[in-house]
Amino acid sequence: MKEQIIEILEDIQPEADYETCRTLIDDHILSSLDVLSLVAELEDEFDVTIPTVEVIPSNFNSVDAIAAMVERLQEEG
Amino acid sequence: MNKKTKDIIGCISFMVGLIILFAVLSVIFVPKDNSRAAGMEAVQANGILGEKENTIDYIILGDSETHSSFTPMQIWKDYGYTGYVCGTNAQHLYESEKFLRQALKHQSPKYVIMETNAIYRYSSIENAIMAKAENYFPLFRYHDRWKNLKFSDLGGSVQYTYTNYSKGYRFEDRIDGVENKEYMKPTERTKHITKINRHYVNNIINLCKKNHIELILVSTPSISNWTYAKHNGIQKLADQNGLTYIDMNLLQDQLEIDWETDTRDKGDHLNYSGAVKVTDWLGTYFKQCGEFTDHRQDAAYQSWNKDLKRYEKKVSGK
Amino acid sequence: MTSYVSILYLLIFLPAVLLVYNVLPKKYRPIILLLASYAFFWSISRKLLVFLLVSTVSIHHIGLWLTAVQSERNDVLAKTERSGKKAVKALYIRRQRWIVFFAACVHVGTLLVLKYSGFFGRNINTLLQTAGVGLSVPILKLMMPIGISFYTMQAMSYVFDVYRETTKADKNLGRLALYMAFFPTIMEGPICRYADDAEQLWEGRRSTLENLTFGTERILYGVFKKIIIADRLNIMIKTLYTGYADYDGGMMAVAAIAYTCQLYMEFSGTMDVVIGSAELFGVVLPENFRHPFFSKSISEFWTRWHITLGTWFRDYIFYPLSMSKPLKKLTSKARKKIGNHFGPLIAGTMALFVVWLFNGLWHGAGWHYIFFGMYHLVLIVAANFVEPFTREFLEKIHIRREEGPYRIFRMIRTALLVCIGELFFRAEGLRAGFCMFNKMVTQFTLCSFTDGTIFSLGMDKLDFIVVALAVLFVFAVSVVSEKGTNVRRLLSTKRRIIRWAVCYGLILCCIIFGAYGMNYTPVDPIYAGF
Repeated sequence: MKEQIIEILEDIQPEADYETCRTLIDDHILSSLDVLSLVAELEDEFDVTIPTVEVIPSNFNSVDAIAAMVERLQEEG
Repeated sequence: MNKKTKDIIGCISFMVGLIILFAVLSVIFVPKDNSRAAGMEAVQANGILGEKENTIDYIILGDSETHSSFTPMQIWKDYGYTGYVCGTNAQHLYESEKFLRQALKHQSPKYVIMETNAIYRYSSIENAIMAKAENYFPLFRYHDRWKNLKFSDLGGSVQYTYTNYSKGYRFEDRIDGVENKEYMKPTERTKHITKINRHYVNNIINLCKKNHIELILVSTPSISNWTYAKHNGIQKLADQNGLTYIDMNLLQDQLEIDWETDTRDKGDHLNYSGAVKVTDWLGTYFKQCGEFTDHRQDAAYQSWNKDLKRYEKKVSGK
Repeated sequence: MTSYVSILYLLIFLPAVLLVYNVLPKKYRPIILLLASYAFFWSISRKLLVFLLVSTVSIHHIGLWLTAVQSERNDVLAKTERSGKKAVKALYIRRQRWIVFFAACVHVGTLLVLKYSGFFGRNINTLLQTAGVGLSVPILKLMMPIGISFYTMQAMSYVFDVYRETTKADKNLGRLALYMAFFPTIMEGPICRYADDAEQLWEGRRSTLENLTFGTERILYGVFKKIIIADRLNIMIKTLYTGYADYDGGMMAVAAIAYTCQLYMEFSGTMDVVIGSAELFGVVLPENFRHPFFSKSISEFWTRWHITLGTWFRDYIFYPLSMSKPLKKLTSKARKKIGNHFGPLIAGTMALFVVWLFNGLWHGAGWHYIFFGMYHLVLIVAANFVEPFTREFLEKIHIRREEGPYRIFRMIRTALLVCIGELFFRAEGLRAGFCMFNKMVTQFTLCSFTDGTIFSLGMDKLDFIVVALAVLFVFAVSVVSEKGTNVRRLLSTKRRIIRWAVCYGLILCCIIFGAYGMNYTPVDPIYAGF
């Protein structure tokens, strides 16, 4: 799943090291418009709905966090 | 010594160092003369600093009403008494107190006249604190002098040389009259004097007592500024402290102020012709009190006769 | 106390509260802070304190109400089959939404009435007049409680966070009251979240020596910015903005740059005083500025300038709107048609429009504020729109945008665009703003710099030199901390003589070069008016 997410991210904003970065939002590497694209891509790719409540910095700061959120949402159905 | 005491000693020594710096810089920043060039503010009122020691008979404190209404040179001409108007625009009482305090270092007047309009001027606590700080450390008042600080300022010796030929009076002969009307309608109401201002009035009263000076409260004629409620407030203040209070707004039959010709701004301030009437009244009052001597022939006061010549030239418009 | 940079606040109120706070036992400390905060509020707004109290009690109640609904939902969910869970969730979300809607009506409604009724009334009247209707609505002149624009945002963020279940509703009314009223933040922010500072504030930690020195240093730095730079520029800015008709285009550029500088120094300086004040009590507040003039684009600028306002709009307006069902649908459709970059841009722009409209209006009821918001909206959207083309273009001509001269070019470009925005922001009305802008572009000359006009605006050569040196100092400090050094921590590792010299130096600079006293009028707190 992580590889898929990194692929999506690199498509949106190529200038970052997604393997290691843990402050994607806090350091403004992803802008709010980037997050919009990302959410749309994630929803398509993994067939989940990401509610607004989940769009908080801690869920998007790293690839791990994003993956964890997607997994959780998939389980909840 | 444990850490806590060490910290406290550190804090205290930091503060002491700061205060020493303030004191040193104050000596450097204070104007070394009372002229404008030397960085003094309100030079006309501060001209009193340049007067010879113990030559001033009376001092007048207050706001713009004072330097518009009283012209000491006229009293000199008529009676030979010496006086000075330490009046500045929108003067606050803490400034009045400061003027009096520094004047008393070199002068021993018999009368101090306090114009009462300033007693109703609003002073915030902040102003009052700042004024206190300025008294201890003139740096806070004169900090802006960094722009024209000279090497000689480092020495720190102060010598006042400037004197003002009209003794604080500001000549103004513009006429902008207003209809004569009864503006002093008797009322029972009393306008309240704020605590801060009361504090400063008390300071001035005590200062006068200590120096055996008679303090007189005077309200100069002003349609826009004075009311009967204010009169009542000041009367109460005078009664409480056993002071003489003269409200010129109620002496119309003696002063005969004509508001169509005697004011320069529609009844706010008097102009020269109004000032002549008010000063005439004051001269007669001093004469009746009989406390002053005529200095006109006194050799020590010849500079006053010289100033009178300049003054007359100015007021006659030549 | 109408400003944080005043004797009454810095030398009387703050030290007194600090002393009482530390002398009393731990459990009374938060109460002292709360009482001090209400005293502070009372000293400015008197009886309007009632508004704050009502807001506080209402969000306390609403928070508990939401929690009650949520726990009821959890009980029901536990008893429901998996298939029925979705329906139950939806039902309870609807119920919660009504509560949030009610809270928004109360808070935003009050703000709207107090702040904007005059503006809407006037515009309705002009409309009626042009339509030839002989009617007019009465215009109320209402008193605004101090800081209402700020504490309303805090109240709403608390309600939203409880609704989203990212924050637990607080049973303790006192803690919530202190979160709403904490005196350093009440007037000009930062707009805190409940999770930021409520717990810390209620803890009542004793101030350590480090708190005291760091707090004082921060306050000093803020005072430095405010009274040396912002206040000294004040006369010139007033002269230029009220008498713009008398000056040429060069002076309009000076007006734009000087005001941007004043606004930054005033606002960020006040924030230094505010955050420093909180630090004295051992409370860490969120930062409101992160060296905004190192931004390489306008959207980056807004992540560094008035940060807490920006994140508020992002979290509570932008995401909820752009993630709402209709806009999400639009995004996924658009992505398929016009690609992954432009697709989300359509929905994003719609949401951004609302954000910038609110952002403009939040600053005040006036068309020039709305214009200010729209100006930034256009810049951000345009930058996003051309982004793929610039990227391609720069790659072709082999320019690395994150490095070297091109990076600096981007910073300067951003700063200039910001200055133009602030020109409109400060101008006395939208018409004056356009007039000034037009002048700046079409009548730009350097004449006024050589013929002495520049020194006739209330600032002489020495004033300019002092301001320039002070700005340089702030710039140097910014460069060092932008590189990741904590300046105050660095200072604390130095020997005592150096530490003291720096502090004495700052204090004396403020006292000697500060624009206060008989010849100056200080600038009123700009953001307290919003």
